[in-house]
Amino acid sequence: MNVIPILASAGITGFESPAAEYRQLPLSLDELLIEHPSATFIGQASGDSMEKIGIFDKDILIVDRHVSVENHDVIVANYNGSFVCKLIDTKRRLLLSANDSHNSVLIQEHDNFSVEGVVIRSIRCHRQSPILAGD
Amino acid sequence: MYALVDANSFYCSAEQVFRPEWRGRPIVVLSNNDGCIVAANRQAKALGIGKFGPFFEVKDLCQKLGVIALSSNYELYGSLSNSMMEVIGRFAPEQHIYSIDESFLSFKQSYPAIPCLLTHAAHIRRAVWKETRLPVCVGIGETLTLAKVANHAAKKLNGYNGVCYINSAQQRHNILASMQVTDVWGIGSRIGKKLRQMGIHNALALSKLQPGLVRKSFSIEIERTVRELNGEQCKGWDSARADKQQIFSTRSVGERITDKESLLQALSKHAAIAAAKARKQGSAASSLLIFAKNSPYDEQPNGFKYHYRCASPTNDSCELIGHATRIGSQLFNPNTRYYKIGIGLLDLSPVQHLQGDLFTPPKDPALMQVCDNLNQRYGTDSMFVAAQGISGKWHMRRDLLTPQYTTCWQDIPQVSCR
Repeated sequence: MNVIPILASAGITGFESPAAEYRQLPLSLDELLIEHPSATFIGQASGDSMEKIGIFDKDILIVDRHVSVENHDVIVANYNGSFVCKLIDTKRRLLLSANDSHNSVLIQEHDNFSVEGVVIRSIRCHRQSPILAGD
Repeated sequence: MYALVDANSFYCSAEQVFRPEWRGRPIVVLSNNDGCIVAANRQAKALGIGKFGPFFEVKDLCQKLGVIALSSNYELYGSLSNSMMEVIGRFAPEQHIYSIDESFLSFKQSYPAIPCLLTHAAHIRRAVWKETRLPVCVGIGETLTLAKVANHAAKKLNGYNGVCYINSAQQRHNILASMQVTDVWGIGSRIGKKLRQMGIHNALALSKLQPGLVRKSFSIEIERTVRELNGEQCKGWDSARADKQQIFSTRSVGERITDKESLLQALSKHAAIAAAKARKQGSAASSLLIFAKNSPYDEQPNGFKYHYRCASPTNDSCELIGHATRIGSQLFNPNTRYYKIGIGLLDLSPVQHLQGDLFTPPKDPALMQVCDNLNQRYGTDSMFVAAQGISGKWHMRRDLLTPQYTTCWQDIPQVSCR
C-alpha cells in the first residue's frame, strides 16, 4: 500500500511565522554524497575483503564513473564478468584487498578487466534499514 | 549544424550495464507479455535471431545458441535513458530528445567555438560510454536529415568507428550512394516501394529528384526530405512532433481472461491510461473504440469490437470507464478466452475549442487534474478509479525480467568484496 502524506491546514490566519523569510531548502544527502548524478550508480558491498578501510559486508557504495582513477583509489571493476570492489595499484596493475587474509590479484593480459567507477563514498547502516531489508 | 546521438541496440545495451558477464554476448529483449522480440543486439542478429518475430517460434533456438532472452525492463531503460540524455546535453547549448535512445543537438549558435566537430563527436561518444556504460554513435550534418544520414554511416559503414561528420559534398555523395532509400529518415516501406518502382533504389538517387516533382507524386514532407538531403534546412525539431489524432491503450494479457469481472477491470485500466494520455496532450475524444479478442493463434478467432460515439467530447477517466464497462459487460462472452484487450480514443479535438452542450452540464476538470498530479508525483496508479481493480491476473507477464538496479533499493547491484 502506498501512503501519501499530505499536510493538513486548518485555514487559521494569524501572525506570519517570523522564520518565513529565513527559510532555505532542507539539507539534501544527495547533494552531499553524489557529485555527478548522471554518472553515478549505487551498489552494495558483499564480503569482508575491504574491512580495513571501513567497507563492511552490506555497506552501500556510491560509485562515480565521471572522476578519473588515481593510484590507490577504491574502485568497482568488472573483473572477468563480475563487479568487484578493490583498491587499485595502477603502477603495478594490482587489485589490492584491505584485509590481511586476502591476497592481491595481478591483472593479466587475458583477464577481462575494466574500471567501472570510483567508490567516492560508502555508507554504513548501524541499524538495519527497513527499505533495504525489504519490509 | 546538427548532431544525432543514439544508442546502439539500446534495450540490449541497457541490460548489459549492470551485468558485465553479459557484455559481448547475444541478447534479445521481448515485448510486453514476452510475446515478440522487440530488440536484438548485433551478436544476436549475427546468429540469425532478428527483430519482430514471435518469441515462441525461436525460443528453443535461442536456448541452443546461448542467446539471452529478457522481458522489457522499462524501469531500468527509463532511468538509464535519463542519465544518457543528461550526459549528451552537456555537449551543446540546445538539445531535443527525440526518443528513449535518440537525441538531437544543435550547434547553430556555438559551432564556430568548437574547433573540430569530428573530435567533439568522439568526445560525446567517449563521455557517454565512460559515464553510463552505454555505446552510442554520433552523426553530424547540416540538416536534421543529414545528421540522421551521418549517424547511419557512423553505425553501419566501415571505417567510421561510431562517429561521422559530413563536411564535404564528396563524402555526402559516397554515403548516400551506399544507403537504401528506406534507410532515409521519413521514408517508410510503402513510399520506398513506390520509389523503387520508379527506379529510385538508393538515397543518392532520391536526393537528385526534382523537389517539385516529389511534392506532386508524394507529399510536401517527402519534398522536405529531398531538400534536406541536399543540405537545405527545412525541418525544425519544434514541428517534429505533432499531437496524436488517435490514442490507443492496448495490450495482450499474461493469463487469459475468462470471467466478466476481470475483463471489465482490464478495459477500465486501458480506458484510464488512454484518458490520461489524452489529457496530457490537451485533447478530448468524441468516440471510443472498445475491443477484446482471443489470440490469432487460437483455433477459432473470436472477440468483439465496438465503436461508441460520446454525446460530447470528453477526456474524463470516470466517464470513459463508465462507457467501457457498460459496453464490455454487454458484449462479454463466457466462452471466449480473451487475450488482447484495448481502448482507442478517436476523433480527438483540442480541449480549448470544445463546444458545450445544452443538455450535458460542463465537466469539472479539477478532479482529473488532481488525479494526474498525484500520479505524476507519487508514481503511476497512486490514485485510480476502483473499477480498474486492485491487482488483476491480466497484468503483464514478465517472466524473464532483470532487477530494477537503479530505481529499487532492494535491486541495487551487488559488488563482491571477497
